[in-house]
Amino acid sequence: MPTCKQCKKFFPLEDNPNKGDCVQRVIDPRQTYYKAKSVDAESDAAKCSEFEKK
Amino acid sequence: MGVTAETVKELEQKQEWWWAAEKKRSKRLDYLRKAMWKKGAIGGLYPAGLYIDLERPVLQTEKAKELESSPDPYVIKFAKMLAHVLDNKTIFITDHSQLVGYLGSHPNMITWDPTLAAILNHEVVNDPTAIPQPVEENLKIISEVVSYWGGKSDLDKILPHMDLDDSMKVLSGAIGWGVPLSRGGYSGKDYEYIMTGVRAFEDVIAELDRRIDEADARAHEPGATREICDLYDKMNMWEAMKITLEAGIRHARRYARLARIIAENFETDTERRVELLQIAETCERVPAKPARTLQESLQYDLFIQLFSRNEAIEGAWPARPDYYHGPYYEQEVNIDKTLTEQEALDLTGEFLIRAAEVSQYKPKWSREGLQGIEGTWVWTLGGVNKDGSDACNGMTIALLQAARLVRVANPTFAFRWHPKVKDEVMREIFECIRQGLGYPSMRNDPILIANAMNWHGHPIEEARTWAHQACMSPSPCTKHGFQPMRMANATANCAKIIEYVFTSGFDNIVNMQIGAETPLAEAFTSYEQFFDAWVTQMKTIFSILVRPVNRARMLAPKMTPRPFLSAISERSVESGLDVCDPSISRGNAWITAFTWVENADSLAAVKKLVFDEKKYTMADLTGALAANWEGKEEMRLDFVKNAPKWGNDDDYVDSIMLDCLHEAARFSRELKCPSGNNWPILPENVSGNIHYANIVGALPNGRRLGDALYDGGISPGPGLDKKGPTAVLKSCSKIDHISDGRAFLLNQRLSPIQLAGEKGYQLWKSYMKTWADLGLDHVQFNCVSDETLRSAQRDPEKYQEVIVRVAGYSAHFVDISRKTQDNIIQRTVQGLA
Ligand code: SF4
Repeated sequence: MPTCKQCKKFFPLEDNPNKGDCVQRVIDPRQTYYKAKSVDAESDAAKCSEFEKK
Repeated sequence: MGVTAETVKELEQKQEWWWAAEKKRSKRLDYLRKAMWKKGAIGGLYPAGLYIDLERPVLQTEKAKELESSPDPYVIKFAKMLAHVLDNKTIFITDHSQLVGYLGSHPNMITWDPTLAAILNHEVVNDPTAIPQPVEENLKIISEVVSYWGGKSDLDKILPHMDLDDSMKVLSGAIGWGVPLSRGGYSGKDYEYIMTGVRAFEDVIAELDRRIDEADARAHEPGATREICDLYDKMNMWEAMKITLEAGIRHARRYARLARIIAENFETDTERRVELLQIAETCERVPAKPARTLQESLQYDLFIQLFSRNEAIEGAWPARPDYYHGPYYEQEVNIDKTLTEQEALDLTGEFLIRAAEVSQYKPKWSREGLQGIEGTWVWTLGGVNKDGSDACNGMTIALLQAARLVRVANPTFAFRWHPKVKDEVMREIFECIRQGLGYPSMRNDPILIANAMNWHGHPIEEARTWAHQACMSPSPCTKHGFQPMRMANATANCAKIIEYVFTSGFDNIVNMQIGAETPLAEAFTSYEQFFDAWVTQMKTIFSILVRPVNRARMLAPKMTPRPFLSAISERSVESGLDVCDPSISRGNAWITAFTWVENADSLAAVKKLVFDEKKYTMADLTGALAANWEGKEEMRLDFVKNAPKWGNDDDYVDSIMLDCLHEAARFSRELKCPSGNNWPILPENVSGNIHYANIVGALPNGRRLGDALYDGGISPGPGLDKKGPTAVLKSCSKIDHISDGRAFLLNQRLSPIQLAGEKGYQLWKSYMKTWADLGLDHVQFNCVSDETLRSAQRDPEKYQEVIVRVAGYSAHFVDISRKTQDNIIQRTVQGLA
């Protein structure tokens, strides 16, 4: 089972590698931006359509 | 940019200000302005592309469930819920931006707080246009959230403790609006405590730790007293405050981390990389520590505003940005020269954009009442320092210039005019007005400082710190003077006062007895009897509105606490009491008097045509009003045309206006807030004149049910001020703007052609001198021609960016209802002599 930890978009916290940020590029009809969401390193990435292997 | 100065000049000559601004602003500001998702509702509905954000309600609900079995007192659970949102919500950084922070998970998302009111939650379920895709799946999430918070929301909790009779009358929507919640409305801030650069969150946390330790030691010394009992609650409150501040610091550091990740992993442009590292440094510094630069100061302010809105729906944005950010501007731009004027302008323009995009899901009546905007975010500029000297600075000018470049309709500015304001500042203000922004509105600082001392007993140094708590009402930014919530305010639909005189208090629209059961109108044999009934109805309506607000204010500290707002308020940090606790507030309450002038015009019409000239009997008039003037057109026109109207310097009607205000002022001193202070009235309207069009029945000024009401405050009825601008000012100057009420809104339309060039400036300046000499406290201007407005009605796509002054706020003309548009066009364009 792939996990967030194996994903290119996962950036672990320095003081707690079990947690991190999922950082993605978004282009909406008006603007482009980077977004970050807190995720667990071991979260199941099988159903994530944004998963990109490191 | 490849655009010649002539091109900009040509556009300005054609008064195409939007296109000129687009060419004048920097590439960064242009991108950010166009990147902005406009959030104001149109016709009560959110514009296409905006969606209700479900991330926050899900986070709140999951934390609330987790804490159900925790032994924590409610205030700590609540603080933990806020912290959970800040720690876990999605954050983003827009390309080219230098300031960060948004309430929602994505720029086009409107945040929804399900903890406030079940009635709001039910609106979400029934708002198909704003539910994100996939609708069915998300409806399931919404239903789960709504059912969890049923019976647990703030309003559900306080309603059983309110007087049912008063509550039903308020909730009928006939005589007023708003719900008395501490987490819904207009939250002033103790800026003198938290924004002066003396302290930031870490300093407050250290202070809270000290107080908790002291209280803990005191509570465990030998002895048992009432004081020790109170300490347990205080320690909990201090702990809750600390949780919110620590969460705020962590949240800012999430942005710092994201900025570094982008800079180090994605960004290829060297300049942008430097900017991202600057963002990172800024967010590592503030809000933990005091700001050192303009960017840090603006970012700090933005975080405070966002955290406060993480805690409550704030319908207003009390602020004094030039006063609090000005010192950083001066230091960096004028002394150290580490920032150019252009760079400062970019930051200032972006600050306006960041504020303009903030959005919180609100009930439909509120969206209808505030057409085209998110809330009345009237930022206060100018004014005086605590020692009475001129407070204007470089930031005042930067804000006025930035407003013309980014042309957002919200926030808007209100300028505290005083005799020491320099000509260069007046010229910048005039440019904003001439370029059709509809702001700043002009406030008479000496009058309003005296007014604050007169009505609420604020000491002069505190009164001088005042900012607008909503569109119009001044409130100090000090420890005991600032007001933490909308509960400083009750909103009255005053046209009901005169309507109820004819119905003995029965409301035919909502079909219930709301007003006093005064004698049948037909029975009145003198104007004095008639006016007595008016006074009784006025007192009844004001009392019904004020009592629930007072009651809710008493309930707020325990039932609907605000730990974050308390944490940035000296009085709460010091006392351990919730910021809404009336015992630590001086009181600065006011009754917003919507649809006020209809009373004076109606009373004058009755006095003249019924009692003086005896052309009609009271029975004739009562019958005509009950029939909504149907079949009585000739009589109606008599009441429109042959009765004197306010705003024409006619003592007949102007003296009636004064009688009404004096009666209201007398009663305002009998009405007391829980802090023991007065409840003066403040005539103004937002767009209540349109909202109430179908709620107010026929009136003796000739108005029919459904017709728009007057545009508000003490503005004459549209088109009824026939004697020119000086007559309007003279009528308004008969009011004592210090003692007859808390403030008085005056709308004026000026001709853009007349205001062109230096001559235009001189004309406006001499108008302003007359206004100041006559002692009025407020005036605001629309300066867009009928031709432009009619073209915008015909071809809205082409005129997307035309801004107008609606009432206490500005909006894009195309975003307001046709009825409001027509009402603005109808207002008399005053030619200045
Ligand atoms: S994209 Fe999906 S798999 Fe990758 S880190 Fe984000 S949530 Fe995890």
